[in-house]
Amino acid sequence: MIKRPFLKFLKPGLYYDLIEPPPEKPESIPVPDNLILILNEPLSSAKLSLLKRGDKVKKGEKLYLYNESIEYTVSPVTGTIDLIDIFIDDKGNTSTYLVIKKDKNSDSDAVTYDLKYDIGSADSYLRTLPGAPPVKTLASAGSRINTIVITCTDRDLLATTSQYVASCFQEDIIKGVQILKKLTNVQRICLTVPQESNLKDKFDTMQVFETSIKYPSNLPALILKDHFNIILPAGKAPEDVGVCFINAEAAASLAAAYETNSAGFNKHLTIIDKQGNRKRVTASIGTSLGKIFKALNIHVDDCDRVVIGGPMQGYATYTIHHPVQPDTDTIMIQDKTIIPHISDNACINCGKCIQICPVNVPVNLLIRYLEAEQYEEAADKCDLESCIECGLCTYICTAQIALCQHIKLGKHELSKLKASSEEELEALNE
Amino acid sequence: MSKYKLTVSNAPFWHDGDNIFKMNLNILIALIPAAVFGMIQFGAPAVGVIALSISSAMAWEFSLNVISKDTIRIKDLDSAVIGLLFGMMLPATSPWWLVITGTFVAVVIGKIIFGGLGANPFNPALTGMAFLMLSWNQFFDFDTAYVTYSFDFTALAPLAFLKFQGVAGFSDMFTLNDLLMGRQIGAIGCTFGLGIILGGIYLLIRGYTRWEITISFIAGIIFTAYCFKIANPDLYAGPMIHLLSGYTLLGAFFLATENSSSPANRIPMLLYGFFAGVMIILMRNIGAYADGTVLAILLFNLVNPVFDTIRPKALGKGINNA
Repeated sequence: MIKRPFLKFLKPGLYYDLIEPPPEKPESIPVPDNLILILNEPLSSAKLSLLKRGDKVKKGEKLYLYNESIEYTVSPVTGTIDLIDIFIDDKGNTSTYLVIKKDKNSDSDAVTYDLKYDIGSADSYLRTLPGAPPVKTLASAGSRINTIVITCTDRDLLATTSQYVASCFQEDIIKGVQILKKLTNVQRICLTVPQESNLKDKFDTMQVFETSIKYPSNLPALILKDHFNIILPAGKAPEDVGVCFINAEAAASLAAAYETNSAGFNKHLTIIDKQGNRKRVTASIGTSLGKIFKALNIHVDDCDRVVIGGPMQGYATYTIHHPVQPDTDTIMIQDKTIIPHISDNACINCGKCIQICPVNVPVNLLIRYLEAEQYEEAADKCDLESCIECGLCTYICTAQIALCQHIKLGKHELSKLKASSEEELEALNE
Repeated sequence: MSKYKLTVSNAPFWHDGDNIFKMNLNILIALIPAAVFGMIQFGAPAVGVIALSISSAMAWEFSLNVISKDTIRIKDLDSAVIGLLFGMMLPATSPWWLVITGTFVAVVIGKIIFGGLGANPFNPALTGMAFLMLSWNQFFDFDTAYVTYSFDFTALAPLAFLKFQGVAGFSDMFTLNDLLMGRQIGAIGCTFGLGIILGGIYLLIRGYTRWEITISFIAGIIFTAYCFKIANPDLYAGPMIHLLSGYTLLGAFFLATENSSSPANRIPMLLYGFFAGVMIILMRNIGAYADGTVLAILLFNLVNPVFDTIRPKALGKGINNA
């Protein structure tokens, strides 16, 4: 954990990590006997599920929960379904937790797909590729997307997965870009690489933007502002202004999928252990975090914190049986002795959050509205929706307030308020 | 599902390790040079006033926390900072009841009834000070306060001298070096200019006070005093005299920069500091008070929320190109 320097002006900020010069070879975690999948649809007792305990599944087979389901997941192994349960994530959303017991020696009968070069076809098979390509967004946003940005930069501190993929699989990424052009007809596809890395030379055929290594310049809203001169309107996603962000691993795995006509499941991960050392591993999607820790001899104790994603934007999981998911890039484990304290202090108005905020949100005023649960006023007067959730305000907060948690809750409540007022309007119109 | 109970909380998972206790401890450390100098210069009564001031401020906060069944918050040292600043602004000969009444107003009326830490619209120490100055003005006449003392320098309060005898004989009685090195009489912690400057710079480079307020405050003083001096050099003293006498330096480095009663955006901070500095010189040169620092800063504490509405536009706010 990077602490406050004694003299504040000597080191003004946090910096992204750059990949070590010859990239370290990843340690391969063997596919475990039980794989865990999270299907992004809640289990309902009122409907008859298509998936039952004991069902046989094949490697690469798409699994739907109900007949009318839109969401699917893909089994990474051939085996049988061992458990179906409800899974609740950190925001309280429910989804379905599947455990698949791997069959011994039967990986040969993997499903091959009939992939065509159109986005609908990609969307119907490739949502769960390593790196989670946003094929669903591309398919639904359609012609509104005019620019695709492949990010070879990692969003969070300590993470180097995207840089690793970019430096070792640049041919796949270039092929992936060609495929994306065919799929979407978007002609402008550019790349972001970190400044001070040698990645730019590897992609000399493409338009490459070098992002600053100062945190949080790799966040989409800031990439748009710094390199595209697009100001992302508050509360909008990049897709709303016609830009889609795809990470390097997704582009590489798209290329591999079209080459083999099947889905890949090998996910590259950066693991940060309790001492802060970085280890690079590859593991199959569905591997539980506990298995990875065991393979790396990382001991997890009571009250430690397991973070999926980096230290600034990740989320803490409550179970080491959480699986590696398509979008899992970094896993960090913190010893219980170094977990920072969170207080119930009121804001002391020291103004440090205002100085550090990259998007000029008046955090000191915002937190007062949020604590009073006045979410609409917070959005109107204090720019709640402009926040890009970089976490810097919370990192430097002298009063140790969980600012980011308040902000995320505020945004969540605000979206609920908006949804209910829209419903009321519709009811009135009828 | 799992044999472990993991800690779950929201991002970010790092913190730079700063907290309110450390911040207040650093403010106390920064105040030590000036406070210790004052205690040496004015002897045991000064030690008594400072000790009583800190302890009574903490006691008021503790008892109010107990009465209102709130968390006991004296361990964050905020009331200790209020108490020390308050004690440093008193003459060494202040009677005990004056100190205790003052810290009551400072901590209870100035801070706790507004909602405690971070919610006070006025600097608590200055609230207490203003109350005492309006109620028992005679105790703040430094010339009579130190009448029993014998010093090896001019035992007259510089600002009172300026007010009542004019600038004419000032340079015979005081030198700037004397003022800077604490060879003047005044409040316990406000005579040793160099100590306050050193402590203030320590806080600035540690990042606990905001340079914008301090610099613009000093600029406001120098600019206004200089204008007066140009207009009528026989009547008005120069900027350095104003800067090194009275509560000015304590105001610039410690009082005007109090977190919750000062603005947090850059342009408002510059305006706030500058106009507070201007107001002090106006009060001294035109107004009825010998030293206007307390009331000038309180006045601009009041204006602070208006200033703080001047702020940069947040990213993506107010554009309709979606």
